[in-house]
Order: sequence, then structure tokens, then C-alpha cells
Amino acid sequence: MSNPTAKRPRPLAPNVQIYRPQLTSVLSILNRITGVALSVGAIVLVIWLLAAARGPQAYAVVQGAIASWIGQFVLFGTTFAFFLHFCGGIRHLVWDTVHGLELRSIYISGWAVVTASVVLTVVAWVVGSLMAG
Amino acid sequence: MIIESSNQVPRVTVLKRFPLPRNFGVSSESRIEQGRTWPAPSGAVHVKSFEIYRYEPDSGENPRLDTFAVDLDDCGPMVLDALIWIKNKVDSTLTFRRSCREGICGSCSMNIDGTNWLACTRFISDLATPATIYPLANLRIVKDLVPDLTHLFAQYAAIEPWLKTKTAEPERERLQSARERSKIDGYYECILCFCCTSGCPSHWWNGDRFFGPAVLLQAWRWLTDSRDEAKEERLDNLEDPFRLYRCHTILNCTRTCPKGLNPGKAIAEIKKMVMERRS
Amino acid sequence: MRSPLARAIGLGSAKKGAGPWWAERVSAVALVPLTVWFAAEIIAHSGSDHPTFIAWLRAPLAATLMILLLIALFYHTALGLQVVIEDYVHSGAKFATVIAVRLGCFALAVAGIMATLSVAFSG
Repeated sequence: MSNPTAKRPRPLAPNVQIYRPQLTSVLSILNRITGVALSVGAIVLVIWLLAAARGPQAYAVVQGAIASWIGQFVLFGTTFAFFLHFCGGIRHLVWDTVHGLELRSIYISGWAVVTASVVLTVVAWVVGSLMAG
Repeated sequence: MIIESSNQVPRVTVLKRFPLPRNFGVSSESRIEQGRTWPAPSGAVHVKSFEIYRYEPDSGENPRLDTFAVDLDDCGPMVLDALIWIKNKVDSTLTFRRSCREGICGSCSMNIDGTNWLACTRFISDLATPATIYPLANLRIVKDLVPDLTHLFAQYAAIEPWLKTKTAEPERERLQSARERSKIDGYYECILCFCCTSGCPSHWWNGDRFFGPAVLLQAWRWLTDSRDEAKEERLDNLEDPFRLYRCHTILNCTRTCPKGLNPGKAIAEIKKMVMERRS
Repeated sequence: MRSPLARAIGLGSAKKGAGPWWAERVSAVALVPLTVWFAAEIIAHSGSDHPTFIAWLRAPLAATLMILLLIALFYHTALGLQVVIEDYVHSGAKFATVIAVRLGCFALAVAGIMATLSVAFSG
């Protein structure tokens, strides 16, 4: 028999463990994850600029790292993250003007963001590889 | 797939829940243990199984997940009917709040198949098999499906949800045009079921200081009421990095409102009103 | 033992919070054209060597836009990361982390601007 004077704390109902992922919450957390990823990308951008300012040897080191398999993989991920955050960000800016907040519009714009991000990433890489020759 | 109204149950389920272990990051007193499976009704043709969160405060045990088999021919069409059937025919200790059984009182709000809704307006036929019923997410549990709403109601009281005026009381009504009255449409209908607040991830992580969609929707209801004369004070009270600005427009609230209201839009309007007085 | 209302009110409203929210949006609006320009230039110059890149960055317009990009980018990043930290860190480490992130973003922005200027004004 439990001690009547010792108050057992009430349990907390599960939240993220059982709540259904929906377009609303998934796109929102992706916007945050891509934002944090792009912050890391911003550091790489500064390193790249510093290397370019330093001279051809430093620049070649950084370019070599980017041109490697891992570098290209990370660059691909970063461009996808950029386009997701860019399109998601525009969606947020539209919401801040109090437009497009009906459920139907939320879902249409949400799928538009996903589609646009994929398309833009593919286009960017195709054009980029064509420009590189 | 486009959702037109929050009443629309999604037909395609890519993920039932985020791929996390059930007791991920959960403190020891909240860990959900394996529960008992109750016997199926004999001679029933149409049977549906329900997994229901149980917690008995006096037993000293952790919460658990019990499995019940409900005879659908003996039971009404809504989830609340199933819960009442279980309480009458199988386990009379199953505890839940309920009152109007028509979606207007807000008592029976709970997490059904991963989203918050009212048990009395959710059809059993819309549920997965087995159906999973949890209490409202991220709230302290009194017993079984009954959450402790004290803090949420305290946050509601903190926005002073009554008419605040400075001019003297008129002889009869405080007048309001039809257009002014229409401004509170979509906001006054809130039944304070707290499905939205309980479904907001920002309120999960910062619920002690973030007011949450239900309270903010009501705050907007009073801000936009033309008879109210305390806009300055109300906006001062709301403009806070946590009380208002923990809202990151996740919009789980609008997705889950069982009355079809739009807390996300109300909060966007509050932020716009805050900006309007700054510029 | 505080009453539920006292716990809900906490320390009261800060009466400000719109500033960072607005700044994040303004920097976002600035970043829309700037990042489009940057992405277009990167794609157009894929695989180019060091002298080509330096010649491009030395042009006054490119250098100016790069500096504007760095300012807007790190301002937006600092504000965004501050919000993320405030959401998830609740201990005393919160203030230390926010300060570190803000100062780090400022330092990185200055470093990037210095690099761009040294390319723009040098031989």
C-alpha cells in the first residue's frame, strides 16, 4: 500500500512520442533544421572567402575539399537545405502579412514549398554541372 | 493531399508518429508500461480493438496501455460511445471527462490516433486498427484520460478575458455595428477544449511561459472587440518574447481545432497589431 | 507554493519582443534577392579557378552585394539561432550560449567583410 503522505508526481502525457507528424509540424521543424544547417554553411562561406583572399594555394585547398565526394555530398545537401529554407521562409513571410492562413491554403503552399525545393535543387545542380563543363 | 478542414481525417498515413521509441526522453514516473489485454465480447461479429492509456494514481504503478475489444454493433458511432461502452461493459474504472456528447462543451478532448480531437465528434469508423487513445499531449495526468488543466486555465485568467472599459456605462447596451460584431466571429466560438494548446510543440517545450494558441486566440477575441477599451494594456501584456513570440507559426493548432477555428490566424493578427502600434 | 495564476503570470510581460521578430523578417526580406544573386553567381561560376573568382569578386558591385549578403545573413542567423536556443535551453547555460552565438556571428561577419574588402582593394 503506498504511503498516503508521500505525493507521487503526476505523470506527463506523451507528446512528441505519440503525436502524429503532419505537414504543418514537419515542414516547420524542417525549416528550423535547415536554418541551423545553413548557419553551419555560413561558417563555410566565410572560410571560403578568407581562403580566396589569402591566395591561390589556400583557395585550392578549400576548392579541393568542396570538390571531393564528401564535399559534393554536403554541398548537395546544403543547396537542398537552402531552397527548403528559402521557400519555407517566403511562406512564413506571407503568413506574417496575415494571408494564406486557412487550412486549405496552408496545405497547398506546404506542398508547393516541397515541390519547388526539389525542382530548384535539381535545376541548380543540372545548370551548375553544365556551366562547369 | 490537401486538407480542406480540420475535420478531414487524413486517408494516407506516411508516419503514424515520429520514429521515436515510445518512452523516448520520458521521466521515470511517466514511462508507459505494457498493460493488460481485456477479453473480447463473446459472440460479437464486428469487433474493433482500442489501445487506451491508463493511469491509476493510488496504485503506485506507472501508466500503461490497455487493449480493449469493442463490439461495434452494441455501441454508438463515436469514440465517446466506445469509451462509455467499455466503462459499462468491460472496465468500470476507465475514467474520462464528458458532458454534452455533441461537441460544444469541450470536456472530452483527448489524443485520438495521434491528433487531438473531441471524442464525441470523432467517428469510430475513421480510426485506425487498433485505435490508440491517449490523453491530451504534454499535460500532467490526474487519472486515465483526465489531464490537469489548472495551468492552462491560469494562463487564460492571466489575459483578463472580460470587457475592460474606461468610459461610463451607457444606459442600455454598449453599441456595436454588425461589421464590428463580425470581427469576433471565428474567435468567440472557442470552447476551451485546449486541443490546440496541447498539440503545439512550442507549448510542449515552453508551456510554462508561452501562453499557447487557445489563450492567444481569446486574447485576440478581446483585442478585436470594438467595445473593449484596454487595447494598450492588453498588448503590453502580450508583447513578450515568451508569452506571444514563442509562436513560430507551426500551425498544428489550426490543423487540430475540433471547432474549425483558426488560432494561427488570430496570433498572426496579434503580431500585426503589435507592429502597427510601433510604426 | 505559488498559486496557478502567479505561476502563469511569472515575472510579467517584458513589454518588448517585437524588435527581434521584426528584424528577423526585415533581414529575411533582404536575404531573398541577395541569396538569389549569390546562388546564381555560384552556379554560373561553377568550376572556375582562383583568378576568375578574384576578378569577379573585385568588381565593385559584386563586392558590395557580397558585403550586404554577409551582414544580412549573419544578422538573420544570429536572431534565428537565439530563438532556437531560447526554445530548447532553459538552464543558466542559455545566456552564455546566446552571447557566444551572437558574438560568433558578429566576428564571422567581420571576417567575411574583411576578406571581401581585401580582395576588392588589393592587386
